[in-house]
Amino acid sequence: MRDALRDPANQVSPRARSLWFAEAVIVTVLLVGGLVLLSMWMTGWEFLPQWLLDRTWVAGLVLGLVTVPFVLAEPVVRFAVHRWELAADVVYARSGWLSREWVFVPVSRIQTVDKAQGWLERFFGLATVEIRTASYAGSSTIKGLDYEVAARLAEELSRRAQELRDDAT
Amino acid sequence: MSVSFQEPVPEAVRLSPRLLLIDPIRVLPSLLIPLAGVLVAGGFSPRSFIWAAFGVAGSVLYAVVRWATFSYTITGGRLELSRAFIGRSTRVIPLERIRGVDVTTPFLHRLLGLAVLKLDTGAGGDKQEGELDGITVEEAERLRAVLLARHGVATQEEREQPVAAPHDHVFLRAPKAWLRYGPLSGAFLFTPFALVAGVVGLAFQWGGELGLDEDDAVAVGSWLWGHPLLLIGGAVALVVLMPFLGAAMYAVFNWNFVLFGRGDHLVAERGLVNRRVVSLERRRIRGYEIAESPLERQAGVARLWAVVTGLGDSETRGQLLPVAPRAAVDDIAAEAVGPFSEALRPHPPAARRRRLFRAIAPWAVSALVLYVLGHTIIGVIATVLAVAGIALGLDRYRSLGHTYDGTRLSVRSGSLRRAQAVVERRAVVGWTIRQTWFQRRAGLVTVIAGVGAGSGGYKAIDAGETQAAAFAAEVTPDWMAPFLKR
Repeated sequence: MRDALRDPANQVSPRARSLWFAEAVIVTVLLVGGLVLLSMWMTGWEFLPQWLLDRTWVAGLVLGLVTVPFVLAEPVVRFAVHRWELAADVVYARSGWLSREWVFVPVSRIQTVDKAQGWLERFFGLATVEIRTASYAGSSTIKGLDYEVAARLAEELSRRAQELRDDAT
Repeated sequence: MSVSFQEPVPEAVRLSPRLLLIDPIRVLPSLLIPLAGVLVAGGFSPRSFIWAAFGVAGSVLYAVVRWATFSYTITGGRLELSRAFIGRSTRVIPLERIRGVDVTTPFLHRLLGLAVLKLDTGAGGDKQEGELDGITVEEAERLRAVLLARHGVATQEEREQPVAAPHDHVFLRAPKAWLRYGPLSGAFLFTPFALVAGVVGLAFQWGGELGLDEDDAVAVGSWLWGHPLLLIGGAVALVVLMPFLGAAMYAVFNWNFVLFGRGDHLVAERGLVNRRVVSLERRRIRGYEIAESPLERQAGVARLWAVVTGLGDSETRGQLLPVAPRAAVDDIAAEAVGPFSEALRPHPPAARRRRLFRAIAPWAVSALVLYVLGHTIIGVIATVLAVAGIALGLDRYRSLGHTYDGTRLSVRSGSLRRAQAVVERRAVVGWTIRQTWFQRRAGLVTVIAGVGAGSGGYKAIDAGETQAAAFAAEVTPDWMAPFLKR
């Protein structure tokens, strides 16, 4: 899409990298931990080859080794991809990692603007702005914003949305 | 002067008492098993009969209490549904929020001259919607007029016409001959299998009560397996029955389909046993969707839905026509929405490669694995499917396309169910462009027009990157211009 669309103007907060890293680590720990727990049952699974049955911890190790590069790459890639902009009363946001998503939401069609903060986001001083229209494909979620930035954006969007409200749809 | 003042509804009204004849019958199936259980467990002793009688009496009592505690009122521009049973709840629906009224007459209701009236409030979820289950047909007609006359403020002269003028203008009365197109849609073809699955499901559910268990099921299964001729005969019978049962089922649902205008509404009526009446407010129609299976394309017939803002369950309610000849479909689409004849623009060749890969690769890979594992017969089937995938992939690519004619945009995709949507520009509330990792390698994206109606989003699958951005910019130049690269 480099030839077609320009990048949105603003980066998300640099602390968002820490958030994505923390989230990825938590998911990986849960996955590997789950597999290790599962491997305790595996000793009874006769359809598996003998060498694996002798050392079932290998499964957890392999999963861990496979996911580590992703855990390290995801925060960096996401920080490069995730950008947003409010220009000419249109919200333009880009997000994603392996897959990408570009969303355009005109302020005149916004129905609700929410500012949300999970416990992990609160820890890093970040927040998420959720913009909803009448359609899922006209709705956008901007993650990893600095709390102050998110508050100002949400405030401005809901104020402008009220001024411009267009009920044609 | 509005209709609700001409025909005041001064006090809270109950549902028709005739409902009391239906309600216990309706709960009977769910009571049957517990009742049978009580009787069997009690060894058909007098005491067990007493308990069973208690159960039946309880359900009748429950129906009476439910009927007695529910009422509805229309006052001050609001419809109030109140239930004072254990808790007290009142749902208030402002009349101007009511976007459509849907009257159905299930079989038992029809015997007693009753109807179910459902309100469409555009709230999206089912929870917010109101329902009056069990009012007389005349009351349903009257309520429909009152509820819908309220908010068409602009159409003054309509108000002066007698409200119940039945069929203002009949757009189309489907000829009986069209019923033969029904099985072509595919969905109804599986009726025999659905019936068998239903019987098997019931057998499992009730089997336990009748003293049958898994061993019996296994025994039946192995006995059948031991008589392959019987199995094959059964399968052949089911396949032969497909078109007939499918046609019968379809005819029952779509019997005597009539589409007519009433005031500012389009009304579709259909059904043999359950007569279903759906009104769609015309000013909320934002476009239409046409779907065809390959068989239907061969026969030159198609299905048509209206894309309506704030209409839940639009797949059944938005239906404007039964399976009908393409010319009639285009006529009604032009009548309900507007004429659209712009040719679709094709997607880049990379999209053809992707469609082909996705149609062939899974079957080819599984065929290979199956050969390696020595399951030759299933492997051959997978190979055949992989070869069929060539035709399917090519046809899927041919289906892909998008266009814009200045007021409406259109996107099309699919092969076994080729669907083309035509949506007004003003209904677009935003854009989403998605690109998976594989699409990025191919330089393709999926561009989705967000629409506050119908399914919520209409996709142009595998468009070129620049093509997709240009399409969005063409439909809504003000929104996209600041972000395009020149």
